[in-house]
Amino acid sequence: MSATHEDNGWVDRLRDPTLQPQALEQLRDLLLRGLRRAFLSKASDDAFVEDVTQDALVRILDRLDQFEGRSRFSTWAMSVAVRLATSELRRKRTRDISLDGITDGNALRIEFADESTEQPSASAERNSLLSKLQELIDERLTDRQRWAIQALLNGVPIEEIARRTDSNPNAVYKLVHDARTRLKQGFEQAGYTADDLVGLSQ
Amino acid sequence: MPLTRQQIAMLMQLVAETTSDELDCSGCLDHLAEFAETHLAGQPLSDALEEVRTHLKNCHCCEHEFQSFLEALKGMSDDSQ
Repeated sequence: MSATHEDNGWVDRLRDPTLQPQALEQLRDLLLRGLRRAFLSKASDDAFVEDVTQDALVRILDRLDQFEGRSRFSTWAMSVAVRLATSELRRKRTRDISLDGITDGNALRIEFADESTEQPSASAERNSLLSKLQELIDERLTDRQRWAIQALLNGVPIEEIARRTDSNPNAVYKLVHDARTRLKQGFEQAGYTADDLVGLSQ
Repeated sequence: MPLTRQQIAMLMQLVAETTSDELDCSGCLDHLAEFAETHLAGQPLSDALEEVRTHLKNCHCCEHEFQSFLEALKGMSDDSQ
């Protein structure tokens, strides 16, 4: 713990059976204000916000021991509520997205085209980089890595990829991180710098 | 479907910014409250919070959640914290 913050008595009040009801009501108001501002404009209604707030209060009570004072209590509590709201919205939004189209061996395919607006030398450099990228994708990544990266690039959240593959977000993040590491090492061995990768791919 | 030009640029950005000691999503979200307060106060980031910043740059999901979190914090009044 780098620094501790006063929790304004939140933890004690939430643990005290006589003080808890009032503390919960105050915390509920805080969470509702925050969640309404963050989520009411994102295709969610007030019932959604109310439900998430209720779930968040239960989770916060369950996890009081995990509050370490690295932030104000209200900030920590709001992070718990936002986590719940975000997960639920992602689940709703992505449940109808099909991932079948990227399981047919066509994940991470690159098509090369001369850009008419580019100088020929720039186009050649770009195509050379993309050719290397395709080679590294084909030779250094596993099918699972190619599939996961394609899903991410298609806008499917890590959490949803994890859910559909009976995995967990950390495992999917590690899968993708390992893939990125392999690609970066491949580019470095071929003499490309990080600046080359960003500059030439634009 | 081949990758779009935008997807290729996104992938290259991700590869370029890859480091060996990145936080995973749980590690990032565990520090999000502290990171948000430091960010909002305009204070310098500790090494641990720099790792959060790096993760947010590389993880669209966590970055999206962070932006929602900042909005939610704005929705709370300062005097009740």
